[in-house]
Amino acid sequence: MVLMQALFFFLVLLWSPIVTYGASYYEGKTVTVVVGYKPGGGYDRYARLLARYLPKYIPGNPTVVIQNMPGANSIISANHLYSVAKPDGLTVGTFNNGLVIAQLTKVEGVRYDLTKFAWIGSVASDAAVLTVRTDLPYKSVEDLRKAKEPIIIGATGPGSSTYDFPTLLKEFAGLNFKLVPGYSSSSDIMLAVERKEVDGRGGSYASILPFIDRRLVQPLIRTRVQFPEIEKLPVDEDLATSAKGRAIMAVRSTPESIYRPYAAPPGTPDDRMKILRDAFARVTKDKELLAEAKKTKLPIDYVAAEEALKVLQEVLNQPQEMAQEITKYIKFGD
Amino acid sequence: MLDAFIQGLFVVLQWQTFLVMLLGIFLGFWVGLLPGLGGATTLALMLPFIYKMTPVEAFAFLLGMHAVVATTGDITSVLFGVPGEGTTAATILDGHAMAKKGEAGRALGAALMSSLVGALIGAFALALSIPIVRPLVLTFGAPELFMLAVVGIAFISSLSGQGGRALVRGILAGLLGLLFAMVGEDPQGGVQRFTFGQLYLWGGLDLVPVLVGLFAIPEIVDLAVRGTAIAGELPQEKLGRGVWEGVKDTFRHFWLTVRCSLIGTFIGIMPGLGGGVAQWISYGHAVQSARDQEERRGFGKGDVRGVLGPGAANNSKEGGALIPTIAFGVPGSSAMAILLGAFFLQGIMPGPDMLDKYLVLTFSMVWTLVVANIITVAASLFFLNQLAKLTLVRGSILIPLILLLAFIGSYTSNNHLGDLVVFLFFGFTGYLMIRCGWPRAPLVLGFVLGKIAENNFYISTIRYGPSWLMRPVVLVLILATVIVMIYPFIQLPRRRAPAEAATG
Repeated sequence: MVLMQALFFFLVLLWSPIVTYGASYYEGKTVTVVVGYKPGGGYDRYARLLARYLPKYIPGNPTVVIQNMPGANSIISANHLYSVAKPDGLTVGTFNNGLVIAQLTKVEGVRYDLTKFAWIGSVASDAAVLTVRTDLPYKSVEDLRKAKEPIIIGATGPGSSTYDFPTLLKEFAGLNFKLVPGYSSSSDIMLAVERKEVDGRGGSYASILPFIDRRLVQPLIRTRVQFPEIEKLPVDEDLATSAKGRAIMAVRSTPESIYRPYAAPPGTPDDRMKILRDAFARVTKDKELLAEAKKTKLPIDYVAAEEALKVLQEVLNQPQEMAQEITKYIKFGD
Repeated sequence: MLDAFIQGLFVVLQWQTFLVMLLGIFLGFWVGLLPGLGGATTLALMLPFIYKMTPVEAFAFLLGMHAVVATTGDITSVLFGVPGEGTTAATILDGHAMAKKGEAGRALGAALMSSLVGALIGAFALALSIPIVRPLVLTFGAPELFMLAVVGIAFISSLSGQGGRALVRGILAGLLGLLFAMVGEDPQGGVQRFTFGQLYLWGGLDLVPVLVGLFAIPEIVDLAVRGTAIAGELPQEKLGRGVWEGVKDTFRHFWLTVRCSLIGTFIGIMPGLGGGVAQWISYGHAVQSARDQEERRGFGKGDVRGVLGPGAANNSKEGGALIPTIAFGVPGSSAMAILLGAFFLQGIMPGPDMLDKYLVLTFSMVWTLVVANIITVAASLFFLNQLAKLTLVRGSILIPLILLLAFIGSYTSNNHLGDLVVFLFFGFTGYLMIRCGWPRAPLVLGFVLGKIAENNFYISTIRYGPSWLMRPVVLVLILATVIVMIYPFIQLPRRRAPAEAATG
């Protein structure tokens, strides 16, 4: 008994400095979430949702604020997080999941190395889907293949999934697509679908979902990340007719499993990272947050830091010639 | 239909709804006054407050705020020559010129009253067009949107001043504007244009630092050089009576106000044209209303019609801008994208249902815009005369304040140092243009319409080949372009032959 008490006392002694250190560290402080986009977009809405619930899960209940740092499809914010922000556990950032492709293809202006960030993880995953209007006779990939006329696909521009995903399908799966880029946003493409200016569009499953539910379009092809409702659809990589095509498709869609990534500046102390990682892991299970996320159509699906890093490495571990090959088909842009 | 229209009003007037709307109006009032603090950012900040509200309350709160921003933004534009919002810059040209002549009160009265009339007409036009609004929006595909942009660009001929030389300058300024619109990555080939290796320029130039620079800096320099107050050393009694005069002006030029309101509503309904466009096209239209050369020369030097046009369009477009969001679930601006989030939050799926099942809610949104504007204008009228006295404050006291507001306003668009560089660059450009007698309005028109024109031209051509040129609406718009272009040349000599030869 005495031994047990002594052991207990010893354990308390051992753990208490860390625990109190953590609590006192964040107490009265402000955690800044740097968002690589302007207010109102997907990245911003996720961050604002998390910011309201995070304080509950960080010992010391710090204030969590959002700082929008838009520009260059979030490269500016990633560069900032990498080399300007202090690694003191008070700054975290969220940026485009495709930044890893920008790093792989050595886009000018990239000054970060994603693998060196102190990773927190990702709060959501997504798949890309190719959808066509329901009033058209195309109901399967077979139908798409048999199409005599080119199928017109609306897109915003190179570097977005609305453009790259159908481009690869056209190039490597032999589908008769005609891409029409230039729409100012993905919702602008939906309007073009509605007025039958284009036959369909590719892009984020989560953002097309309301229009699938409304029976305006139907999904025919998906990427590798699984969602119950579209599980049975053929995966783009399986449609590729060459190994090269399959590999490039895989590189493009792999980052989608960490669709809403969160990381802290390189060199953030481990004890504070542990607090932050725990907080993100727990906040994404918060019942109120989940209910709200469901309402606002922001699906939550937490991926831990180690796994996020694995995903990044999978993309970055390409032979040099492959990286060059990819540059021909995928341009990371704004 | 009519039932829902009236019911929508009563819903807004319930006391809980009314109270949250007042709160929204109060917030929007300040957001509008302060340059740079944009409506969209504020909407995003306010979103969490609507969780516990009913849909009607939530939209009364958000839209009440949103509606007022454009109205009070005009106040800053008139008084200081700094656009309170990116969408209120056109008011500066004549509004601030009036302030310099000691007519700040009159300009403010005109801006606010025309805003109110614009909001009312916009709401009624919208209510009348609800049955046809879906087909109307769907009629305007890429070719039609391209042609609309071209019609807009054609207004350069009215905005250039008289004489061959002025016209050439206007066209060149317009082309310069188109060139500035091209900065950034092009969506067709993914090529970086004029980005000079700067990440900041990837996304193109932002409207706010460009406009604030172009208009605020020349005014600040002018104020510093003159060394007096904004209104110079004019007799004071003129200021005090002004507001009522401005209100009367709105009705003196009632048809112009109505036409500009309708232009605003229509542009608002068109998805993707954006808030910056309506005010400039209306300004161009207001200039066209000049009856002779003499009058036309007065524009830009303080003609009240130059305030009424953009003032009316600014507010009437808000009702129209709701349409793409509520009828199709596709937002036309970032403010509307945030509003779409509010719909989801309230468990409402925007789409055709909004024009049918939720018609009362839709109308309550329209009414919110109207009621919010009535309240703001009524409240403002009490102290506009006091505000107008700001133009009598010594320049040396005002300049640091205006400069600070202009810098902060520019910086908030991206929170990036590049915003300040752009602000200063366009400030310098604006100053040079004024010194050399070049018109700034065509440059802005080219800038706000450039991207719309380019992208839709590309989409039209790749999608339809040359056949889009034969679409009926396109043909009508081509005709409209020609009329807009030659109007200044046929109209003026016919009405009254000018005594003196036109010079630059």
